Amino acid sequence: MKARRTMLVASAAAAVLFAIAGCSSTESGTPSGDAGSVEGKEICYITLANSHPYVTPANEGAQAAADAAGVKLTIVSEEFSAQTGAEQLNTCVSRGVDGILLWPADENSYLPGLLKAEQAGIPVVAIDTRAGDESMKLIQSFAGADKYDQGKISAQQMEKALEGEGGVVIIAGQAGNGTEIARTGGFMDELEATESKLEVLATVNADFDQQKALVASRDLLTKYGDQIKGVYAEDDTMAKGFLQALEESGLGFIPIVIGINGEAGAFENIKAGTQYSTILQPPFRNGELAIETLVKVMKGETVPEMVPLENTVVDSTNVDTLEPAM
Amino acid sequence: MTDLKTPAVTFDKTRTPGTLFSTLSIPVAIVVLVVIGAIVSPSFLTVSNLTNVINANSTVGLIALGMTFVMVCGGLADLSVPANVAMGALVTLGAQPVVGPGAAALLGILVATAGGVINGLLVGYLRINPIIATLGTGSVLLGLSQLLIGGGIVYAQPSDLANFVKSSILGVPVLIWIFVIVALILQPLLSRTAYGRWNLAVGGNYQAAAASGVPVRFTKASAFALTGLLSGICGTLLALSNGQARPIIGTGYEFVAITAVVIGGTSVFGGNGSIFRTVGGVIITALIGNLIILSGLPTQATGLITGAIVVGAVGIDAYFRRKAGRE
Amino acid sequence: MKGFTISTAASRVVQYRLLVMLVAVAVFGGLNVDDFLTINTLQSVIDRATVVGFLALGLTPVLIAGQIDLSIGSTMSMAGITTIFLQSYIGNIPAALVGLVVGVLIGVINAVLVVVFKINSLVATLATLLVFASLALLVTNSYPLSSSDPIFGIPLTADFLAIFTPRSAMFIAAALIMFVWLKATPSGRNLYAVGSNAPAAKSAGINANGYLAATFVISGLFAGAAGVLQSLSTAAGSPVAGAVMLIPAITAVVIGGTRLEGGRGSSLATLGGVLALGALTAALEYSGVPSYTQAVYTGLLLILLITLDRLVSGDGTTASRTHRRVKVEPTTPRIP
Repeated sequence: MKARRTMLVASAAAAVLFAIAGCSSTESGTPSGDAGSVEGKEICYITLANSHPYVTPANEGAQAAADAAGVKLTIVSEEFSAQTGAEQLNTCVSRGVDGILLWPADENSYLPGLLKAEQAGIPVVAIDTRAGDESMKLIQSFAGADKYDQGKISAQQMEKALEGEGGVVIIAGQAGNGTEIARTGGFMDELEATESKLEVLATVNADFDQQKALVASRDLLTKYGDQIKGVYAEDDTMAKGFLQALEESGLGFIPIVIGINGEAGAFENIKAGTQYSTILQPPFRNGELAIETLVKVMKGETVPEMVPLENTVVDSTNVDTLEPAM
Repeated sequence: MTDLKTPAVTFDKTRTPGTLFSTLSIPVAIVVLVVIGAIVSPSFLTVSNLTNVINANSTVGLIALGMTFVMVCGGLADLSVPANVAMGALVTLGAQPVVGPGAAALLGILVATAGGVINGLLVGYLRINPIIATLGTGSVLLGLSQLLIGGGIVYAQPSDLANFVKSSILGVPVLIWIFVIVALILQPLLSRTAYGRWNLAVGGNYQAAAASGVPVRFTKASAFALTGLLSGICGTLLALSNGQARPIIGTGYEFVAITAVVIGGTSVFGGNGSIFRTVGGVIITALIGNLIILSGLPTQATGLITGAIVVGAVGIDAYFRRKAGRE
Repeated sequence: MKGFTISTAASRVVQYRLLVMLVAVAVFGGLNVDDFLTINTLQSVIDRATVVGFLALGLTPVLIAGQIDLSIGSTMSMAGITTIFLQSYIGNIPAALVGLVVGVLIGVINAVLVVVFKINSLVATLATLLVFASLALLVTNSYPLSSSDPIFGIPLTADFLAIFTPRSAMFIAAALIMFVWLKATPSGRNLYAVGSNAPAAKSAGINANGYLAATFVISGLFAGAAGVLQSLSTAAGSPVAGAVMLIPAITAVVIGGTRLEGGRGSSLATLGGVLALGALTAALEYSGVPSYTQAVYTGLLLILLITLDRLVSGDGTTASRTHRRVKVEPTTPRIP
């Protein structure tokens, strides 16, 4: 109908408007220079989420560090979807920014975008989670906790607490997620390396979500009952889910519960004796560290391949002296 | 043996294979699932497991009850459920420091009901397609809830109310009591009151209902408001029993609710349905999930089996309807 | 007098909604974002819109026919996984073709459920959504698959004719082809007839069942295309890639103006809706607006457009549109 045709013409006109404006505006896309100053440069930060207990403080840390360095920070969120993040990576590259900070939601979806970034001469730093090996080759540095190490430490904690014997269940994060792979891998490898007599009864994926952990834990308790001597939850929210299920069940035994992340709730539980330990991983510092590293790269300085966030074990011995991360 | 109930009420009791299937299918399915469960795992047929199963599904069951009204009156589906659940949960905990646990819980329920009312206005009075309307309001409300919280977890303060919600009365968890009581209130509401008949009429034939003086717009709107209310209650209960809340708390609940209602036998076309059938559907969905875990099947199989059962249930029902010459 | 002017203004806004949106976005973006009004941005917007665009395009004939297809996200994931999985076995292009075939197959399943088993399309495609989402997770064990040839897909997002990329050019081409089919061919017109009034169409000798079946197959094919293109572009087959795409796809179609009640719609309208939504998202994203606030704006926009549309075009004129029945045999007509 006439209205539709008019709309079509009008839309085409709008597109032409874009094009004309584009021809007359300055070309962007200059690759990042090697000069010392980064004032006024732009960093594109592809974060995991806008609204998440760990990620939000990390984003705030990144913003703080960017402000301190005088760099413009544009934050876009992939909302846990690697496909979205890959598209956003493409967009960042085509906008010709001076640096990219990426939070990989999975191992490999960013590879084509990273290749483009390399071609365009834009440095990329990864935050919190590693990408796959092929992708990491294209990334200048990784700033975050060593998740594999966290798994290893957790295994050591479990060994110590159970004195080397007993059944253990693992409540893991999202399958396929770099953090989950590392934390599970670190744990399992350490058990194997020390020829531990601990037996892994089951591994369930609860996607770092308390509700899912609660549901999974109920079923674990139904199935194994007090055979469960130890619980390795790959983050504190999932540990909380297990503890909730335990309380509900009224089964009355107290397994060793180990979590990660250093949440306020976990600190409470350690003080109360229901959780054995957690690992402090301060998100704000994580964000700051990542931007600081990227800024260094943009200035042309060399940075180590990995800039680690310290892993601090928190248990009943030091829980009163430390602050929770969130 | 025809019954002398008002014609608008669900099944006519003539014994065709279709109605027999309709009436018996749910109890039979439940029995079959229980038998399979007992065979598959020794821990299935225990009081604690079965209690757990129903308990875990009581909160989402409330939503299914509301969704029944939505479907019966021809409102298709309410996709804003996750947002209303989240709002209810977040406000319940977020307002605690300001007005105390009891008032905060009421406030949470109120906010979610307000969301349902907005849906009702858009769908019932403006006659906007319910899928679009609820998608829209859901996006807005969920976004707002995240804006309010600014990205974190809201923790609950310890309270008697929370303790009550987490406790059991006579050995049965409070959550199950709440689900049962609400179901017992809504069942006669749908099947015996004028309001219930209005819903059935509006779903059966909107124009005819309007012509015969049924307040059609109000009826449709109220179904969405009711679902909003129940979503709010669900969110509040979840928040209090978990001790914390995040905006993603209600994710997927709308699909679970719709599936339970459909498995229960209520038609998406509208015009017939019953609360008891939905309760049956909730139980069946709950049992399936539990069986999958206990039998060691990967959790991803849940969707597969549920989807297949939905197709089976609706397909067979549609087949018998055609055979019986009804729509 | 005043009321009359406001109402005409409102209907003009609704009619030219897409143009209004594009101008508003251009102004907002131009003011808030450096280098927004550039060819780069245009290219990026159209490219980002491609995957959602294919989903929305496939959905359009389904909606015109008065049905709905909720399974497009799951179909997309399945097609993407299949393509990446087969790449190392049978080569890149054959793998992509098999991915498309997977989309078609799921479309056929939907068609059978709706047309043969007479299951309401909302329920049927909800079921297939669940089944295939689960299947995707099961076959990949919830891990995304990595491509054995990540280089192959890179050219898909390279420069092409300044404002396109190869994959966005495919999208535009598909939209134009569909436009021609819908508007200029007898079969296209028949589809509108089936969507407006299936029994009447049948009485007029149109094979309504065949058309309905065809729309689901088309939807499956396009969802398959979306999956293939996205998985090749990101060199990964993700089991959950499609799940987040359903709502943007529906939003884009509705913004474009196609109704969920059937009988009306246009692929160009969908194209416009997809681009408008893409431009809005880009402008908001580059301005650093968090994704939850974006959701608020998009939701409000959706409600605003649909409310304006309803107010302007009046209340439901014909018989109740709330039932999207699959009834394709002649039945006694409803009481008007």
